Amino acid sequence: MTSEEYGTFIADYASLLWGCGATCIRTEKNVARISAALGIDATVEIMPRHVHVILGDGTVIVRKMTHTGINFDINTRLSRLSWDLADSKISFEEMRRRFAEIAGTPPTNRWEVLGLTSAANAAFCAIFGGDIMAMALVMIATALGFRLKQIMLSAGRDARLTCLCAAFFSATFSAAGYIFGLGATPEIAVGTSVLYLIPGVPYINSVSDIIGRHYLCAMSRFLDALILTCCLSAGLASGLCILGLKWF
Amino acid sequence: MYPVILEILKDGLLAAVAAIGFSSISNTPRRAYLWCGLLAALGHALRYILISPHLLGIHIIAGSTAAAFVIGLLGVVFARKIHCPAEVCFFPALLPMIPGIYAYRTVEALVACLVYTGEAVFNHYLYLLAYNGFTCTFIIAGMVIGANIPVFVLNKLSFQATRA
Repeated sequence: MTSEEYGTFIADYASLLWGCGATCIRTEKNVARISAALGIDATVEIMPRHVHVILGDGTVIVRKMTHTGINFDINTRLSRLSWDLADSKISFEEMRRRFAEIAGTPPTNRWEVLGLTSAANAAFCAIFGGDIMAMALVMIATALGFRLKQIMLSAGRDARLTCLCAAFFSATFSAAGYIFGLGATPEIAVGTSVLYLIPGVPYINSVSDIIGRHYLCAMSRFLDALILTCCLSAGLASGLCILGLKWF
Repeated sequence: MYPVILEILKDGLLAAVAAIGFSSISNTPRRAYLWCGLLAALGHALRYILISPHLLGIHIIAGSTAAAFVIGLLGVVFARKIHCPAEVCFFPALLPMIPGIYAYRTVEALVACLVYTGEAVFNHYLYLLAYNGFTCTFIIAGMVIGANIPVFVLNKLSFQATRA
């Protein structure tokens, strides 16, 4: 194996690890662990859209970030993989084989996610003081909006447009509490019906990256999350405007 | 006394359901669900005790930071137990504390500033924009810093959690 082949693997590894939602600190630590185990001098430079691996002889390998969406399962398995190599439990060939397997990991069953997310948002509604009727409305509104999100994302639609449409759909349905006088807390139902779309992990990751002084990645993640929040607010506002409800 | 305890338990239970549900969106390994829920329940119940006006009544930013610190600390311990990175354990547990309401009220106020140009109304929405924006930003910053302190202090333990 040449150091360039090792470097190419490290670039692919870093691209997938960062793209699945790992912090920059974790990406750097895992890459350093793999480089040490392979006995090569490799420095990784993480940018929001690309990763650069600079080898000791000056060779630079550039890879586009692999955006899989937030996937903690891939994050966990890739971290484990780096330790297995560092502890000499697997060879580099075996590592490459396992990496390809991990990269092809299917996401969690969509119906399981749909059910759990709907229940989670209904629980959120209760935390904010919503009554049983508000919780029921939020649960159904979340299920409908989330299903729309799944369909649009699997059809390759833009994530921002998807967020806007899902928020519109959920807000419009949950506004039934206002229109038909259901329950005592219809305003909480409307307010919480779109919270499942808040990109919580990118917000947390951006602050983690600031702590690690990865300011460009932090800014990129923060702006991505902020734009999605703007899209969901726009979807919510559009829904309420069309129904003639006062937003402000 | 008992109603307060029931309220705390209810808050913890709801936070656990929320954390498990939101963690599934991030494709969290199934073996981590229970621990995410437990961490969220403990953290959220603690925050409830800290920030409720009829209990300790401290500010939401300080309360969230303290609760996140406990979540981070327990997250590092649990991560080793289930061989997952620490953030896989504690990020979903932090999600029920993300101030989503403040986040989109900030955007609402921003849009209102553009819609209403009269000085008094504009100033009112500018105030709401600053209030919600600052509160949201500092809650998130406090939470993440609070949760990350144990990760950095217990550096060796945190980054070896996935080691078999």
